[in-house]
Parts: sequence; C-alpha cells; structure tokens
Amino acid sequence: MARNRSTDVTVVSRRKLLQAGAAALGASAFPLPAIAQAKPYAGVTLHGASFQHRFFTLLQNYIPEFEQQTGMKVDLQLSAFPVYNQQANLELSSGGSAYDFVNVTFILAARWVAAGLLANLDEFTSDPNLTPAEWNPKDFVDGAQVPYRDAKGATYGYSWEGGAMLMGLSRMDLMEKKGLQIPKTFTELQQVCAAINGTDNVNGIVSFQLHHWCLPPYIQGFGGTIFRNPPADIMPTLNTPQAIEAVEFYANLLKNYAPKGVLTYTEDQARQSLLTGRSNIFIHSSSWVTPILLSGESKVKDTSRVVRMPAGPVHDHPASNSQGLGIPKNAKNKKAAWEFIKWALSPEISMRLVKEHGHSSVCRRSVIGSEEYRKLNTVNGQDLGALYLEVLELPAKGENYMAYRTVREFPIVGDVINKAVEQVVTGQLSASAALSAAQEQAVANLRRAGSAL
Amino acid sequence: MTDEGLLDAERRRFNRWALTPSLIILFLIAVVPALYLLAASFTPFQLTTPGSATDFSKPLRNYRLLPGDPRFVNSLFVQAKLSFWGVLFQVLFGMLLALLLNVQSRFVEFARTFFLIPMVLPPIVVAVIWKLIYTPDISPLYYAAGLLNVTLPSLTSSVDFALMSIIIADTWEWLPFTFLMVLAALQTIPDEFAEAARVDGANRLQIFYYITLPFIAPILLVSAMFRLIDSVKAFPLIFLLTGGGPGSVTEVTNYYAYLLAFDTNEIGYSSAVTVVMLLLVAAISLGLVWMGRYREVSA
Repeated sequence: MARNRSTDVTVVSRRKLLQAGAAALGASAFPLPAIAQAKPYAGVTLHGASFQHRFFTLLQNYIPEFEQQTGMKVDLQLSAFPVYNQQANLELSSGGSAYDFVNVTFILAARWVAAGLLANLDEFTSDPNLTPAEWNPKDFVDGAQVPYRDAKGATYGYSWEGGAMLMGLSRMDLMEKKGLQIPKTFTELQQVCAAINGTDNVNGIVSFQLHHWCLPPYIQGFGGTIFRNPPADIMPTLNTPQAIEAVEFYANLLKNYAPKGVLTYTEDQARQSLLTGRSNIFIHSSSWVTPILLSGESKVKDTSRVVRMPAGPVHDHPASNSQGLGIPKNAKNKKAAWEFIKWALSPEISMRLVKEHGHSSVCRRSVIGSEEYRKLNTVNGQDLGALYLEVLELPAKGENYMAYRTVREFPIVGDVINKAVEQVVTGQLSASAALSAAQEQAVANLRRAGSAL
Repeated sequence: MTDEGLLDAERRRFNRWALTPSLIILFLIAVVPALYLLAASFTPFQLTTPGSATDFSKPLRNYRLLPGDPRFVNSLFVQAKLSFWGVLFQVLFGMLLALLLNVQSRFVEFARTFFLIPMVLPPIVVAVIWKLIYTPDISPLYYAAGLLNVTLPSLTSSVDFALMSIIIADTWEWLPFTFLMVLAALQTIPDEFAEAARVDGANRLQIFYYITLPFIAPILLVSAMFRLIDSVKAFPLIFLLTGGGPGSVTEVTNYYAYLLAFDTNEIGYSSAVTVVMLLLVAAISLGLVWMGRYREVSA
C-alpha cells in the first residue's frame, strides 16, 4: 500500500508539475503585452557616447534606476575629449548608427546641425505621448540652447552643462593690502595684474592653450568681431584695428604677468595654478573657476572671489558655451534614446545632481532659480548661481554675440587665431603682422575647405 | 624538361602558394589603406560635406594648393631640422656611449640595461616625463637652476628652444637604439687589430679612426637610416610638449596633417599632405639603400 500510495503521490505530482509547466509556458507566451506596457523598452540596449565629464560620472550612479524603470540597458561609452570628438565626428559624418544618443560637443554642434547629422528633437517634444508637459523644453536656459538650433529654430540637442566665462581671483588678501579693487574694465585688469605680479611669488594672471576661447571676449570688448556677420557672412575680420588692439592687450597680459610657459598650459594646469594661489586671476568657464570657492583642493578659499570678467571699452561680452545631448539621425533606437535624454535632463535628476553632488553647472532655469540651488551655491556671500545664469543668458539677449562660435567653419579660424596669439606672445611677429597673416590664411583655409566667402 | 627542372618549377609553385596568404594580408593592411589615402587625396573630402568623398572633378586641386600653403612648406623645414639634428645627436651620442661602455664589467652590464629603458617606454610616457621636466612650476630642472640662481626660459614655449627641447627628448628616447646597434658591432671587432695597431704606435684616436670606425660605419649608416625614417613619427612628443607651437615653430608635417584631418576635418587635403610626406620618406629611404649598395659595390 505504502508503495502504491507513494506511486500515486508521484503520479499526481508529475501531473501537477506538467500542468504547472504548461501554465507557465502559456503565461510566458501571453503576458508580454502586460510587461511591455509597464516597461516598453524591455530588452533594448541603448548605446551612447560622450567625453569623460563629471556629469556623466555622477549620472552613472543613477542609471540603474532608469534601467529599472524602463527595462532597457544603457551602454554609455566615455572617452577623453579629443578622442570622443574624433570618434563621434567620424561616426556621424559617415552616417553610422552605432550610437543611439551622443554628446553634442559645443565646438561641433554647428557642423553637425548644419550637416543634418542629428535628429530633430522637436518631433519628440511636440508629441504629448512622448514628452509630458512638465518636462518643459523652455525651462532650459536660452543662451545654452543657441548652439543646438538650426537657422529655422528647430532643436537638435538639449544642454546638460553650461559654461559661463567668469573671473576667479585667488589672492584678494594681496589685493587688499595694495589697496586694489576687483577690476571691472580691461584697463583695471591690466593694472591689477601689473601690481600683483611677482608679489609673494604670485603671477598676475594665468591662462591656457585655447586662445580661440579666451581671446574673443577681448576682441569683442574692443569692438571687433571674428566674422563679419555670422552665421550669414563668415568672412573673417581678424586684421581690424580692434582685433589688433585686443591681441596686443591679451598678449601683453600673457607675456608680462602670466607664469613662465603659460603657452603650453592646459586647463588643468591653469586651474591648479589658481587653486594653489600661484596665480591671482583666471578667466574661464564657471566650472573651472568656481572650484577656488567650492573645491576641497582649493588652498585659497578664504581669499578668493568669483565675479564677472572685466568689460571692454566698447562691449561687455563674456563668452559662454554649453554641451548637449542629441540623437544621431541614423540611430536605431530613437524613441528609447529620447526616453534617456528626457530622464537624464529632467528637473528631478538635475536637482539631485546639485543637491547630492554639488554639481551646479546644470542648464534648467527652474533648478538654478530655486531656493535650494541658491543656498548651496552662495559662498562667502557670493551667489554663484545668479552670476552663472546672468552670463549664460547674455548671448540670447539682443545680438547673439556667441554666434561666431556656432558656425561650422569656426575651428578653421580658431586654429589660425591660436597660432597668431602664440606668435605675438613669443615676439615672432607684431600683433598687426600676425593678424594680417592670420586673416590671409583664414580666408585661404576657408576657401580651400569649400566655403564661399 | 629534366627532372631537376621539374623539381624547380614545383618548388617555385610551392613558394608562390606559401607566400600568397602573407601577400594577401599585406595587401589588405598596407596597400589598400595606401590606395584609399591616394584616392582621398584626389578629392575635396570634408567629413561634414556629403558627397565630397567621391568628388573627383578636380583631382589635382589639393596638390596644386600645397606649394602655396605656408604652413605646409614650413612644416617640411621643421621636419628636416628635427630629423637632421635628432638623427645626428642619436648616432653621435649613441656611438660615444657604446664606445664608453664597451668593456667587461658587472657595473657596465647593469648600466647597459639601464640605458635601454627609454627606448622600451611607450612614447606617450616619454612625452609625459619630458612634460614634467619642461614645466617650470614643477620641474626639478627649474628647481635646481633656481638654487643656482640661474633663470631658465620656458623651453617648450620659447621660439629659440622649443624645437631643441623636442630634439633632446627624442634623442633621450632613441639614443639607446644606436647605442645597442653600435655596441653589438663593437663586440665583433677582433682585439688583434687594435693590439697590432698599438704595437705599431697608434694612439687611441688613430685606432678609433682607422680600425673601429670602418668596422661600425655600416651599422651607423643603418641606424641613421632607421632613425631618419622613424624621426618622421615624433608625434606624441610634439602633441604633448608643444602642440606644434609656439606659432608653427615645432609643427612638423605629420602633426599638420593630423590637425587638418581631425581639427578641421579636411580629410582630402590632409591625405594629399600625407601622400607627399610618404613619397619624401620613400625617396630618402631608397636613396639611403642605394648609397649602401653603392658603397658595397665600391668596396
């Protein structure tokens, strides 16, 4: 009996097991729509790429949450800045579909947008099924969005970082001792650099290799321009009296008041020089300058100030830029990529980056204008957020003075500017001769590259 | 056909078959890219201009523009200066070092190994080492000079010293190559020659000039040829130490080609620059090979 009972039990169990198996199979065949409804992108692997930046390092901490919500897997490749730019440029230009989303690097944005290499994001933001109203594309700082729009105003990227050119001063103690005020004009800047340089082994000012980023605010400040009327008329205007005056001024700062070897300085070297108080002034994007007040590395927190860069005699045009996220035109998973961009640049994630990591260079106005942001970014009584927003907004007010940097031909002219500045600083040529040669070469190079001037 | 003839034909056929896979691989990895480079040089290929890669309407346009491009012409002169001084120092100092260390001793054996280190380091590491040496803020060289109350200019951003600073770093990296080659040659010279010369009253300089130098001359020539060809590849040092500057003082042709291709996206024009560079290197190499053969025949 016992044996029979045992056999019976076994038979029943097998049957039950078979039934359960069949039920499981059936269930696994039919409930897919239910799962898909909850996680519409289950099974999708999203491929994205950018250059290495703190924003992405921090974002990677949150990406598992996004993967959990959507069911997709995010494969984010981060490379060094020049490597990424080369890879992405080749990939997009050759019509590749390896990436679903990419960083739209500021210096490449105009080229990519003009060449039609990116998907029009208005198609996503205008569809309420794809973008809820609260995501609000107009919440992005207007000045930061300028590079990602085409001539008709269509949007091809949303900015994740804004760079506003500010002036960091690391040795206010020395300046106070000498009775010097924070310079507000180019003339005062030169005077402060001259007065501080050499005192307590401190250099008056520090800069770095990218003169085509640092110099234009001086050219514009003296009333000059880089192109005649960008983007419509890109005839370079490098040999104007204003540009010559600006290069003389800027070269004089580097030649007389900057550390030895400043022409080979990278951004990191310049930042270190400021953070250790070896140089008094550094004029660069907010994320490079504000660490004198915010970073643990700073040895000069108590003697530092961050302010607007000095104004020129004609214009006050501090440079600004931004980095954005976009979708390649031939991406395989455009909708899924948009989900990711929407999430990564949502007000919630932006605020978490600010609150949890002190990452303040976000581009959402609602975040920058919030009380929490203001509290976190007010140091020694200086509201860095307001300063950042003020500069970032400037190009979108009135004439877009940053338009020169958004034309796709700018790198060709920028390269020529770099060479000319170096020639003047090292005394190879006078500013006038260097800029005449630069103008000639810029025109020749642009024509060679197929630009109609 | 005789049996021997058949055997030869069979052997030749076998050799051809045996070589075919290698030749195919060589064709794919060397000839095809070179042909693509040549084809691209006949187009106005711009990465962001669709259709430009296949526009052969003005095939010689890029080559016609080259002589009028001051940066290209300047880059050839810079390359020539860099190659000449670099190779000269490497061959000269490599030879002197080999002569100095051509003795049997444990210390010298250790020193030989030590001197080889720069050559086996990845080029970018060499560039970083010299970046540290040449950066006034953190350099031990500048610190030492400061202690001696000597003011050094910033070498890599000085018009007078920038190219020399690259040559010094390149010499440091590649001097061990010549050293190793010459040392190997020195060790093959029979001692009897020098002993006989000494008996005849020759001094050290005479022994070097009449006995050692003729022995190592072919090696010096081969080393110089290798280094000359390799000197065109001093890219990492220039990239990291000077960026081609100040101005265009250290901008060699391959660096200029790199800027054209990857900074301004002018792939077509950059390819033309590269083709010209390739032809120049090939011409120099063939010239040196011809010189070597001529010497052999003359001897």
